[in-house]
Amino acid sequence: MLAYIARRLIAIPFLLLGVASVSFLLSQMTKGDPLAALVPERMMDNPEIVAAVKAQWGLDQPLPVRYGIYISNLLQGDLGTSFATRRPVAVDIAERLPATLELVFAAMIIGTIMGVGLGLLSARFRGSVFDGLARIFALIGSSLPIFWSGLILLYLLSVRVALVPGTGRLPPRVEPPPDVTGFYTVDALLAGDLDLFAQALAHLALPALVLGWAVSGVITRLVRSSLIEGLSQDYARTARAKGAPERVVLINHALRNALIPLLTILGFTFAYLITGAVLTEAIFAWPGIGSYAVRGAASLDYPAIGGVTIVGSIAFLLANLLTDIAYAWANPRIKVGG
Amino acid sequence: MMHFDTKRGLRALAFAGVAMAAPLTSLPALAQGSDTLVIARSMDVNSLDPQRAFCDTCQFYLTAVYETLVTLAPDNKSLVPNLAERWEVNDDFTEFTFHLKDATFADGSPVEASDVVWSFERLKNLKGSPSFLMDGLVGAEAVDAKTVKVTLEAPNGEFLNKVSAPYGGIVNAEVAMANGAIAGEEAATEDKAEPWFLANSAGSGPYMLKAYSPEAELRLGRNDAYHGEAPGFSEIVVTQISDAVSQAQALETGQVDIAMQIDPDTASSIRSDDVTTEVVPSYNFLYVGFIPGAKGMKDVLTPEVRTALALAIDYEGVLDFTVGGAGARQAAPIPNGFPGTAGLTPRERDLEKAKEMLAAAGAEDLKLVAGYPNDNIYGVDFNIMMQKVQQDFAEAGVELELKPLTWSVWRDELGAGEWGVTAIYYAPDYYGSGQYVSYFGMMEGFPWANRAGVGDSALVRNETEEKLYAQALAASGEEADAIYAKIAEEMMKEAIILPLVSPNLVLAYRSDIEGVRYSACCNLPLAEISRK
Repeated sequence: MLAYIARRLIAIPFLLLGVASVSFLLSQMTKGDPLAALVPERMMDNPEIVAAVKAQWGLDQPLPVRYGIYISNLLQGDLGTSFATRRPVAVDIAERLPATLELVFAAMIIGTIMGVGLGLLSARFRGSVFDGLARIFALIGSSLPIFWSGLILLYLLSVRVALVPGTGRLPPRVEPPPDVTGFYTVDALLAGDLDLFAQALAHLALPALVLGWAVSGVITRLVRSSLIEGLSQDYARTARAKGAPERVVLINHALRNALIPLLTILGFTFAYLITGAVLTEAIFAWPGIGSYAVRGAASLDYPAIGGVTIVGSIAFLLANLLTDIAYAWANPRIKVGG
Repeated sequence: MMHFDTKRGLRALAFAGVAMAAPLTSLPALAQGSDTLVIARSMDVNSLDPQRAFCDTCQFYLTAVYETLVTLAPDNKSLVPNLAERWEVNDDFTEFTFHLKDATFADGSPVEASDVVWSFERLKNLKGSPSFLMDGLVGAEAVDAKTVKVTLEAPNGEFLNKVSAPYGGIVNAEVAMANGAIAGEEAATEDKAEPWFLANSAGSGPYMLKAYSPEAELRLGRNDAYHGEAPGFSEIVVTQISDAVSQAQALETGQVDIAMQIDPDTASSIRSDDVTTEVVPSYNFLYVGFIPGAKGMKDVLTPEVRTALALAIDYEGVLDFTVGGAGARQAAPIPNGFPGTAGLTPRERDLEKAKEMLAAAGAEDLKLVAGYPNDNIYGVDFNIMMQKVQQDFAEAGVELELKPLTWSVWRDELGAGEWGVTAIYYAPDYYGSGQYVSYFGMMEGFPWANRAGVGDSALVRNETEEKLYAQALAASGEEADAIYAKIAEEMMKEAIILPLVSPNLVLAYRSDIEGVRYSACCNLPLAEISRK
């Protein structure tokens, strides 16, 4: 097992180098003017300014030279400087990634609770009114556009009934906690500031709920169908024949067997959301990596695109590895790396 | 190895869910009585270096942190003293002498003539976006510690207006140089101060930069060493909220004090009595531009056809369609209220005449493509605006294919002359019509002459404009106004730039806030804002 994990970890840098190269070359081949993020529209016709900016950012160099510089810098841990923010991409990512991770972790917790809970009850009471309602709830969660559900919930819960605060990670008047992990909830606790923790958690709740609801739709349907299938299997009949109550059959036998596909979905969804939570980030003014990625792509900010691609790739590679390890944890019959 | 316990896993999930739900009632610190001003905005910062920055957010940031020699009065027309307590100008507008008042930078050191010379030279030599403000600068000389003499190579009656732009703010040269800034001719390649300016400031204004996180937050703190009247807040936070609806919601809940980008439609949905909204005219405008130098357009977009197309547009309808009538029509590519625009009459639609002219030009079945940024600027959606133009052209028998593009692709295709029609916008940098002539004028080497001719500006060159512009720069007051009016009429005759909408601006703020106003140079003067 450990040898398998070590092999996978050793392969990651090589895979990332390939991903970075493909990302760099694709960015260069994409139609568009990379100066869009560097020279304002009104100055784009000024040859003196354009020449100065190209020289400053190395865009006057031929592609192979630029590629060589990029890879050489990358090997030294330098992701370059963002055209748009004018700061090192690594600094931008280090500032934004914890915000996204905090949101995604919270959304995954909510989505998993809702999805597994509704899936369990839906399968247990298959064909009932509750089953129908749960399926509709799941369908709405996975099909409703987040920009719509987010805005509506924000309006209802924040503006109309003042149950939750507005957008952002904290009220603008409040200074963030000292940076340790970048997770405001955790850092507030580490600073011993419970009021700040409560505020950070309150700000996190609604965007996490909206994103979690979207995640829960897929999980509900997956858990329901896996459980219904499991409940008709021989092992379930055997358990019932031995006198096990239906609740025990459902949770101890059927749910356990439904974990493998569930772990696959959870791993994939988590990795996807690292760069894919952009709509939630936009609606809730959440300064995460998703909005950074979209802005970078739209303005051909090559260094930012490269940096986000590498982060996204790491997320997928690690999520896959952790999913494989979780398979073995959930089902001892599975031999990882064997 | 540990194995998964289903019951324990479900219990852990349930516990986490309860923890998430528990603090839902923990509401934010609200605006009332706070010594912090919070502004909601979709920030467009490209830099915080005063001599590199060039954006709407930069305008009000720089105005709060750096001071210019002269500034624009609240009437949005007159220039009033700022760091310079008085000035003299020679008869042909080539020499400007400024006398500085006693002022200090945030570190307590005095603002001196050498700082002004250094700032102007760096502004010119960085070859950054606002460097055009120093076009024609021969030299700036510190006559003594409090006197600066600026010499220009040619007359420029708008130079004072140019130095009132926020990008003309004076920087503490010693501090900036200690952090990598260079003002000499090698500045464009050797200056390394931009990262420092993203986290620090070196101005003499009422506020100073406290922290900046791109597309998240811009935090200013009061400059306790400020030599003038102390500003109304100890802290200002500009918080990133991208869309108008979210900005309005944050304003209604008291999470923010001012929402800067609320369109009239969204403003009308605000029901809170604690929010004040004012609708004021802006100097921003969106326009359609014709590109006769585009591929296959040289013999198509002739002056007659352009005039016919200009007559085909229902300008009132565009105004209703895009901003629900909350804006103004504009005759020429110089905003209403700027020098030379007082007597201009906006274009009117004349569909029959448009059809006749198109028929006479042999362009009855004209097909055009419009490439434009897929964006929403100042509350106007380019797609909606161009759909209306498409409908209007269709009524004149002209087929217009719409091609919304990302900014980077739009710029690429514009430079390559891929299409004959585009749409874009303009916001002023200072009060003065020269900036429009030097941008939209069909003159050798000027931006829109290059765009319209796709590198061959001779195709659209207007020598009358060139002569008039030289005269305007050597004039001032009513004489200059009259010349700018003639230039505006020439621009209308060319029918290359067709202003469609000058959208109104919504000033939306909490009712306990006062001093919110729109400035033609500086957007939102933060130092004038206070809580009642």
